[in-house]
Amino acid sequence: MRVAVLSFAHVHAATYVELLRDRDGIDLITADPDAPPGDATRGRALAERLGAPYADTWDEVFSLPLDAVVVCGENARHRPLVERAAAAGAHVLCEKPLATTEDDARAMIDACARAGVGLMTAYPVRFSPAFDALHRSLTDGSLGDLVSVHGTNNGTNPARIRGWFADPELAGGGAVMDHTVHLADLMDVLLHGEQATEVYAQANTVLEPDSPVETAGLVTVRYPSGAVATIDCSWSQPPAHPTWGGLTLTCVGERAIVEFDAFPRLLGGFDAINGRARWEPGGTDLDAAMLDEFLDAARTRRRPRPDGEAGLRSLRIVLAAYASLRTGRPAAVG
Amino acid sequence: MAELDIALIGAGGIARTHLPAWAALGARVRVYAPDPHTATLAHEFGATTADSLHDAISGADAVDICTPTDTHHDIALTAIAAGAHVLCEKPLALGAADAEEMADAADAAGVRLYPGHVVRYFPAYARLRAAVAGGELGRVAVARFTRTGRYPTWSRWFADPGRSGGILIDQMIHDLDIARWLFGEVIRVHAYQRGHFTAPAPAGAVATGGAVLTHEGGVISQVVGVWAPPATRFRTTFHVAGTGGTVRYDSLAAPGLRVTGTVAEEDGIPAGDFGESPYLTQIREFAEAFAGGPAPRVSARDGVAAVRIAEAAAHSARTGRAVELTATKEGTPT
Repeated sequence: MRVAVLSFAHVHAATYVELLRDRDGIDLITADPDAPPGDATRGRALAERLGAPYADTWDEVFSLPLDAVVVCGENARHRPLVERAAAAGAHVLCEKPLATTEDDARAMIDACARAGVGLMTAYPVRFSPAFDALHRSLTDGSLGDLVSVHGTNNGTNPARIRGWFADPELAGGGAVMDHTVHLADLMDVLLHGEQATEVYAQANTVLEPDSPVETAGLVTVRYPSGAVATIDCSWSQPPAHPTWGGLTLTCVGERAIVEFDAFPRLLGGFDAINGRARWEPGGTDLDAAMLDEFLDAARTRRRPRPDGEAGLRSLRIVLAAYASLRTGRPAAVG
Repeated sequence: MAELDIALIGAGGIARTHLPAWAALGARVRVYAPDPHTATLAHEFGATTADSLHDAISGADAVDICTPTDTHHDIALTAIAAGAHVLCEKPLALGAADAEEMADAADAAGVRLYPGHVVRYFPAYARLRAAVAGGELGRVAVARFTRTGRYPTWSRWFADPGRSGGILIDQMIHDLDIARWLFGEVIRVHAYQRGHFTAPAPAGAVATGGAVLTHEGGVISQVVGVWAPPATRFRTTFHVAGTGGTVRYDSLAAPGLRVTGTVAEEDGIPAGDFGESPYLTQIREFAEAFAGGPAPRVSARDGVAAVRIAEAAAHSARTGRAVELTATKEGTPT
C-alpha cells in the first residue's frame, strides 16, 4: 500500500517516516513543501537523510494513488491536508491535536465520513500495554470506581526545535494545547468516551518569558460521572535533560492506586563521556503500535481507534482550558 | 535551654510523635486527655498525667495542643489566657477567623503561638525551601505536591468534616503551607474533593482532593491529597520546575533501608528514614523560641494563612468556583 507522510512540521514526522520506511509492503512517499526554504531539518534535506522518497509539491503527492496518509503539519494546517487526502480516498492518521478549532475538527471528521475513509488521531500512549493493563484493572473491577486521576505530561519546549509551536495561530496555543490532549485521550479511554463537562486551567510563561504562548500549565477536568483529572502539561523538562520528557497517570480508585508510566526508565547511571546522567527509556514503541492500528484499519477498511471523534472530544477539553485561562474561572466544555 | 514544663493535651497519634521529642529535650510533660489510654501513653515516655485541662495548663510554660482540630481554638485561648506559650497541631483551626483570633490573642498576651506545620522540618522540604530561596531553580514556574496515606479510620473524627475539615483542610494543608512558604502568597485557588466524607468512615474508605494555587509572583502549583485504601504505604512527592531546572522527590524512592523479604507483611524490621525525627527538629526550634530564642521557620500568621488557603479550597470544592484571595495582614511568608 502507498502511504504518504504529509509535512515534516511536527517533530514526530521523522519517527513516522523511519517506521514506515522500514516496513514491508509500504510504498512510502513524503512531502514538506511548506518547509522554510533552506531549513536543513525539514523538506527534501530531511527526506534524503531519512532515505525516504520525496515529492516537491502537494500536487505531485496527490497525483499518486494513495491508500493512507499521515498528516504532520502545523496544528492549524491539518484541515486542508486531511480534506484533500479524504477527497483522494486515502485513510488519514492526523497528528494531535486534531485541529485548533472545533469547526476545523468537525469539517475534517465530516470530510472523511463523506469520503468513506477512516480518520485516526495520533494518540500513541493508549497503545501502551501497561496502559491496557491499567484499563483492564478498571473494567474488571480490581481498581474499583475511579475517584480521581492525576496526570503529568512534561517535555522540553518543542518551539526550540520547531518555532511554530510557539506561534499562537499555527499551534493554537502552547503547552496546554500540545500536552493536555494526550492525558485527555487516556481519560477518554478509561471513561469510554464520556465528554468532560468543565475545565479549570492556570498557566504562565515563566520558563520562557518571551514566549507568545504558555510554557507551563495546570489543568483540572471534571466529568459527568464525577471523576476528576488533574493534568500538569508543562514544557518543563530542561533542554539539556537526557530525555525529552515523559507521561505518567496515577489513578486513585476505590480499591487501589495504580500508577502508569508511559516511558519508564530502562537504564540509569552516569554517562562519563558526555558528562551527564544516563536516562534511557524503555517500554514498547508506542508510535509503532499506533501505526500498526492505523495501517490495519486502512487495509481492512475499518474504523481506526482513536478516531476523529475522540480527537474532537479531547480538543474540546483544551479549548475549554483556554476559555478558563481567559477568565480565570472554570469553563464549560463545548 | 531551661527545663520547660509542658502541658500536652491529647493522647492520639500526634501526641505519640510529640512526646518522645519533649522527652529528648528534657522537658517535664504532663498529659491530659479524656482518653483511657492517656496514662499508658504518658508512662511510656516518662510523662505524668493531669486530671483536667485546667490542672494541666496551670503553671505550664507551654501547652502542646494535640487534639482534634475543632477543639484547638478554645484550648489555645484558654492556654493563652493562662499566660502559656502554645504549640498547636495543624491546622490551627477549622476556619481562618478562629485561627486569626488565636494569633491575635497570643500577640495581645505576649505569648508565642506556633502551628505544627511539621513538613517544613522534613529534610527534603527544608532543602527544597533552601534551593528555591537560594535561586538554585532559577525562577520557578510550576510545582506539584502529593501526599498519600491510608484513610485515617483509626480515629473517628478525621472523617467528620465538621471536626477535621476533611482532606482539604486536615491533610492537604501541609502542602498548601509548603507551597505558600516556597512560592509566596496565594491569590487564587481552585479545588475539588471526592470520595467518602462522613463519619464513621468504613474500612476501605477512599477520599482525594486536589487544589491548584496561583501565587502572586506568578508561580502555579498543584496540591493533591489522597486518603487511600488500607494497605497503602505513606508517601509524599514533589516536582518543581524553574528556569534553573527541576527538582523531584519521592519519599519511597530512596530509603536508607529497604526490607523486601519477609514472612509476614509487618516483620518488625524498622525501615525508612533514620535521621532525626522532624517532630524533634520542630519542637526543639519551638522550645528555643519559647525560651526567648530566635523565631522559628513558621509563625502563627503562617498558620492563619494556611487555614485561609485551605478554607478557600474547601469553599471552591463546594461551589465549583475559583476563589480569589486578597492580601491580608499575614503579609509575605517568612
